[in-house]
Amino acid sequence: MSGTVKRVPSIWTTGSTDILNTGTWRSAIAVHEKRPAPCYGACPVDGEIPIWVQQVRNEEFNAAWLTLVENNPIPAAIGRTCHRPCEGACNRTEYDGAVSINALEQYVGDMAIREGWAFPAPAQESQKMVAVIGGGPAGLSCAYQLRRKGIQVTIFDANPELGGVLRYGVPEYRLPKKMVAAEIERITDLGVKVVAGRKLTGEDLGELEKNFSAIFVAFGAHDAKRLPLFTKSDSRVLDGIDFLRSIRLDAPLKIGRKIVVIGGGSVAMDVAGSALRLGQQAQILALEGRAVMPAPEDEIEDVIEEGALLHDGAMVKAVEDLSGSLLLHCINVELDQNVSPGVIRPIEIAGTEFTLEADTVVLAIGQDPELADWEDRIQVSKGMAVVDADYKTSRAGVFAAGDVANIERFVSTAVGDGKRAAYSIARYLGHQDAVEEGFADSVKEVSFKDINTFYFPTQKPVERGKVDVDIRKAGFAEIRLGLTDEQALDQARRCFSCGSCIECDNCAIFCPDMAILKDADSPLYYKVLDQYCKGCGCCLEECPRGAMGVKEETK
Amino acid sequence: MGYEIQEEKVFNSGHAACPGCSEALALRFILNTLGKDAIAVVPPSCIAIISGPQPLSSMSIPVYQTTLEASAASAAGIKRALISKGNNHTNVVAIAGDGGTYDIGFQALSAAAERNEDIIYVCLDNEGYMNTGTQKSSATPSMAFTTSTPAGKLSPKKNVPEIMVAHNIPYMATATTGYPDDLVRKVKKAMEIKGGLRFINVLTPCLAGWGVPDSAGPKTSRLAVQSGIYPLYEVENGETYTLNYGPNGLSVADYVATQKRYRHLSPEDVELLQAEVNHDWEKLQKKFK
Ligand SMILES: Cc1cc2nc3c(=O)[nH]c(=O)nc-3n(C[C@H](O)[C@H](O)[C@H](O)COP(=O)(O)OP(=O)(O)OC[C@H]3O[C@@H](n4cnc5c(N)ncnc54)[C@H](O)[C@@H]3O)c2cc1C
Ligand SMILES: Cc1ncc(C[n+]2csc(CCOP(=O)(O)OP(=O)(O)O)c2C)c(N)n1
Ligand code: SF4
Ligand SMILES: [Mg+2]
Repeated sequence: MSGTVKRVPSIWTTGSTDILNTGTWRSAIAVHEKRPAPCYGACPVDGEIPIWVQQVRNEEFNAAWLTLVENNPIPAAIGRTCHRPCEGACNRTEYDGAVSINALEQYVGDMAIREGWAFPAPAQESQKMVAVIGGGPAGLSCAYQLRRKGIQVTIFDANPELGGVLRYGVPEYRLPKKMVAAEIERITDLGVKVVAGRKLTGEDLGELEKNFSAIFVAFGAHDAKRLPLFTKSDSRVLDGIDFLRSIRLDAPLKIGRKIVVIGGGSVAMDVAGSALRLGQQAQILALEGRAVMPAPEDEIEDVIEEGALLHDGAMVKAVEDLSGSLLLHCINVELDQNVSPGVIRPIEIAGTEFTLEADTVVLAIGQDPELADWEDRIQVSKGMAVVDADYKTSRAGVFAAGDVANIERFVSTAVGDGKRAAYSIARYLGHQDAVEEGFADSVKEVSFKDINTFYFPTQKPVERGKVDVDIRKAGFAEIRLGLTDEQALDQARRCFSCGSCIECDNCAIFCPDMAILKDADSPLYYKVLDQYCKGCGCCLEECPRGAMGVKEETK
Repeated sequence: MGYEIQEEKVFNSGHAACPGCSEALALRFILNTLGKDAIAVVPPSCIAIISGPQPLSSMSIPVYQTTLEASAASAAGIKRALISKGNNHTNVVAIAGDGGTYDIGFQALSAAAERNEDIIYVCLDNEGYMNTGTQKSSATPSMAFTTSTPAGKLSPKKNVPEIMVAHNIPYMATATTGYPDDLVRKVKKAMEIKGGLRFINVLTPCLAGWGVPDSAGPKTSRLAVQSGIYPLYEVENGETYTLNYGPNGLSVADYVATQKRYRHLSPEDVELLQAEVNHDWEKLQKKFK
């Protein structure tokens, strides 16, 4: 035969299926998407909790701190005092207990102080000047955010040193002064001018307006509420905030042996704890039942362990002067449920009368802002400065936030308000780019059902330890032990990182169509190949942390 | 954090598997682990469909489509031919469905195991003849609905993994798509153990046939393991048993609740199934070191 005949099968594989377009099959496509975590949604300072916790997990501590201080310049203080709405919202709660976010925040905050980390100087300076009245959490937060944008800031404060309630209210055993001092110094080191020991009045406003382009009113609420049953001049009756302040100034007001504290919030617990440490007996009379008292449960538990007697769900009806001590005639009450929110109406329970004897009564039933001399300059309603969503008062160029303008009296709320007010002030001063990044309304918050728990072995939360109660009572040294390195890393590892991709590759690995590729150019790390994605949703299901969403498609 | 899986691209996109198909996912891990120095033998099944409409192929290696009866025999023949040509390195892998393994190709498989042919045999077990419309196979579990067992299957699943162990082959493993790293490791191990028949049974939930959402393949596969229905284990030389993932507290009720093929079960039926699973697990457990 001349030459060989090459026999080719009638059907011969000529190529790969990858030229086919299976993308036409689908009606929806999965998209990588950063989504808000519930802790973020609940955080009063809009803290990027999943991000900095992940940085802790990766042992990138300085980066974690930098993420934290984007929104909150005082993490060591907030890490000890926050009411922790983040932990209440944490998706891990439903699984095996919330991540100990607040303890982690303290851990990073304390590390920053120990390591002496400083804030980066502002990129450029502006000539605009802002006066901040009050150097508490709200004022400090606002001043810090303004300085970061290069705006010139002067803080005026009535007290000898800045810090507000953090320095003159919350006792040393909950928040050591040296932590407050270090965090404040870091803020003033950014170039904040401080005029301390000067109490401004409404009269000063005109003068300020001449010298400053905007004014931020953040002088808190320091007018203690009184009960008509007690006469103002009676030296046996003190205001809680005055008592606490006197201890912070190392000149404690004189109190007797038997103390009755009236109130159910943090201030009342702090007064009771402080009185015990001064060697006296403390009883607490709170209108609300323990479960609904405004003070956080751990603060209540602390003082009870330390020896305070709690009479919750009770009120004083009459006061009898025993010449020397006072006899409080009290009765148990129930709170009327059929009232509008914010209103408290106690109903006496007949036959539950009892008496308490007190050498000193300390009132801790709330504070109002001191606004008497401001009322004809800015609008005041229900005892507070009235502000709009941009923290603007009724007077152009005057802004207000914190306790002076908010009924929610929390340190973190004040820091968050102060931050957002700073952005608003910056915009007012012409910095149009001063807009915070957030999430589009269409992006859904990650819920527990979005978490693929297979990827998260159960592991119990660890909270900060407490110093032995006998040592606690003996003095004002801090009572909570910060997390150890190991505990902190363990807690950080528990975080689901809800809604934040950590590049685990699950989406790509579980795609039966190989339609997801790593993409170094994408801020979301991956790309979905339109040509191949059949829309099965395996990636979405296998993403451990809800960092993907769905886009419906109509063809 | 996450799985560390190295892949050599053999399995291609554009294939015709249903959206979310676990067989496609299994093929991805198996073929991309085997790499290019391999020849696949595929009998009629969904795998054959996924391998591509001629003249296109989803597998960048030679694929021989054999008859439903003959996967093991075909693979053994190809391997012997390679060896006689002096090629000792190319892996020959038969990848067949459960119908093609537990039923129709079973005598060829048993014979190849008895001769200890130097091949890897992977069964993609979706518990039924799915490609032809969800008929029962001997891999279909008790009480499951198929189009040929409309009231639920009356007999339990045939225990082919243990039957293969009884052939004293060098390696037998069970695996599933919800544990991709485990599956990949087992394929690698099968590749390393040369000179005999290595058998891997891979549970691959069929979304349409089992009645689960397109996104639920891996999750369903994990539920099978976690509820004790499908323990992941491996056996060397017919005697050395190692447990990889066993039941972790989930129940049969948790498993069947998400699948429409079990929709007709009464609570008493579920209890019977649970008893069967408990019994099998107790028996198997005794074999681990
Ligand atoms: C004892 C106590 C314990 C508390 N414990 C907690 C807690 O554990 N957790 C929590 O979340 N919240 C707690 N709170 C509430 C919380 O401290 C406040 O909500 C928060 O401090 C409000 O911040 P601010 O900046 O608005 O006001 P402040 O902290 O009150 O700061 C206001 C500042 O303005 C200054 N100032 C006042 N008047 C003038 C004036 N006319 N001119 C110049 N300066 C002035 C003051 O000296 C002060 O420095 C507590 C409050 C008290 C009183
Ligand atoms: C001897 C023989 N009988 C029947 C068929 C028809 N047939 C083609 S594919 C198939 C189903 C095979 O089921 P299985 O092996 O479990 O694979 P799956 O489709 O489930 O992946 C059948 C019965 C055939 N090709 N050959
Ligand atoms: S698990 Fe982490 S990211 Fe999710 S809510 Fe809790 S702290 Fe936030
Ligand atoms: Mg099958």
